[in-house]
Amino acid sequence: MIELQDALRKKEIWAIGGGKGGIGKSLITGNIGICLARLKKKVLLVDADLGGANLHTTLGLGVPDMTLSDFLNRRVENIQDVIIKTTIPNLSLISGAQDFLDAANPNFAQKTRLLRHLETLDADYILLDLGAGTSFNILDFFLFSDHGILVVLPEPTAIENAYRFIKSAFYRRFKKVVANQNIKDLIDAAMDQKNTMGIRTPFDLIERVKQMEREVGEILELEVLKFRPKLIVNQVRTKNDIQIGFSMKSACQKYFGINLEYLGYVEYDDCVWQSIRSKRPLTIEYPYSRPSRCIERIVHNLLRKEQLTLSMLY
Amino acid sequence: MIKKIEDLSYYELLEVSPTATAREIHKAYERIRRVYEPNSVALYSLFTPEESDAIYQRIEEAYHTLAYEDNRRQYDALLRERNELPEPPPLPSAPKYQSPQYQSPQSRLPFTHPDEDRYAISPAPEAQKQPAPIKPQQEAVSPVSQLIAEFTGSAIRVFREQKELSVRNIADMTKVGARYIEAIEEENFPKLPARAYIRGFLMLYAKALGCNPERMAGDYLKRYDAAINPPKK
Repeated sequence: MIELQDALRKKEIWAIGGGKGGIGKSLITGNIGICLARLKKKVLLVDADLGGANLHTTLGLGVPDMTLSDFLNRRVENIQDVIIKTTIPNLSLISGAQDFLDAANPNFAQKTRLLRHLETLDADYILLDLGAGTSFNILDFFLFSDHGILVVLPEPTAIENAYRFIKSAFYRRFKKVVANQNIKDLIDAAMDQKNTMGIRTPFDLIERVKQMEREVGEILELEVLKFRPKLIVNQVRTKNDIQIGFSMKSACQKYFGINLEYLGYVEYDDCVWQSIRSKRPLTIEYPYSRPSRCIERIVHNLLRKEQLTLSMLY
Repeated sequence: MIKKIEDLSYYELLEVSPTATAREIHKAYERIRRVYEPNSVALYSLFTPEESDAIYQRIEEAYHTLAYEDNRRQYDALLRERNELPEPPPLPSAPKYQSPQYQSPQSRLPFTHPDEDRYAISPAPEAQKQPAPIKPQQEAVSPVSQLIAEFTGSAIRVFREQKELSVRNIADMTKVGARYIEAIEEENFPKLPARAYIRGFLMLYAKALGCNPERMAGDYLKRYDAAINPPKK
């Protein structure tokens, strides 16, 4: 019984990314955190958007005294010292606000130390709010998490960046499981879409790796099956926008061979903008609004390990 | 085992199970077709236009194979031969609900070779009684309509009747008015709207019949052009 409770209390780390800036990652992270806290889960939000942190603002907090950069810079030794209690029960925050200039690019030792400390924290859920772009640090946080969640807008720019993010994360994951330097170089070369080796898709890459070392190719195939990022479409205005999530799922399956799980969508509504302007969290300021309901549904799907299905749409 | 797009079976391509009903296949086709249509936002930057075109063509091919019972049976046999369909699925039973357009879709080979008699209807009773022998994939999925030498109005009507589809069925499937379907078949050109609309109607009609839309529209419009703008003497 105790073991079961321990298993149920096992901490989960969710990373929310998406490649593009301004698509609502912080807003969604903050509000997912609030929904979880309301369900009496112990939640820690970590603003890993180093260099552009504003998760504290979406929660309606001022600039905190202690931030992640104090920990990374070893001004404090224990990560507990940079955790801020919010006004919402069960919800705490590690802010990245006003970080020092180099914080946006922590070195390998700093990153490892942060991830090691995160694992020791007492929380049911740790939510990492990632920054824009596909830098190695962002990808590593994404890959380190138990659930990597991608946020996209139903717009070509955001979708383009999301695919780029998936591809970068995917190939970085490949590189981590491969020891052979020649294969690592091949993966690097394959990242260039205009490579002269004729490697267009991950399938081509795996085939080429299999020709070099069959076992490694099979390991990469297994990695493809294990990589299951999740998707949230933000700011949907029409039914076609909702459909984009299903379309991306299909495209990812056929292009990358990966199973992208469509967690849900958040409807576009002026109340989101109003809540940001008033510096109050959406799910607290407008708890019955449609976007709040959408976020609750996403949390429900995350907790029950479910995803949207087409039958829900029609 | 992960598969390239080219290696996916028609079922995997349309994301349906091998036991899917005709209606499920049609719904899946409608959805997948929208995903892979040119300029689809969801595919932005992922596939080149050529790759998208190739996938789109393959989806059309998959639908025209799976939508008709005989073609599907032949294709299933082919998959089983390649061990891609582990156990023979039960014969397609009547779906729980069938919209009129899916009642008894038949894909018998209705036409003899064009050289013999262009529009004669072959009885082909044996083909119905006996499951078709396993043929190479290309032949198994080749559209029946290829046997039609020219898509005239009457040829289209005969082809439709062979599939046991009424004008009303076609109108429901294509959302083209029944009077236009009749006018197309009667080649009653004055009753038809402008040429661009006729082309659109023909493309939809061809898809509903499982013919090559470009060929059917091309053939028909040649006759239309000849009738509307007769060559000057």
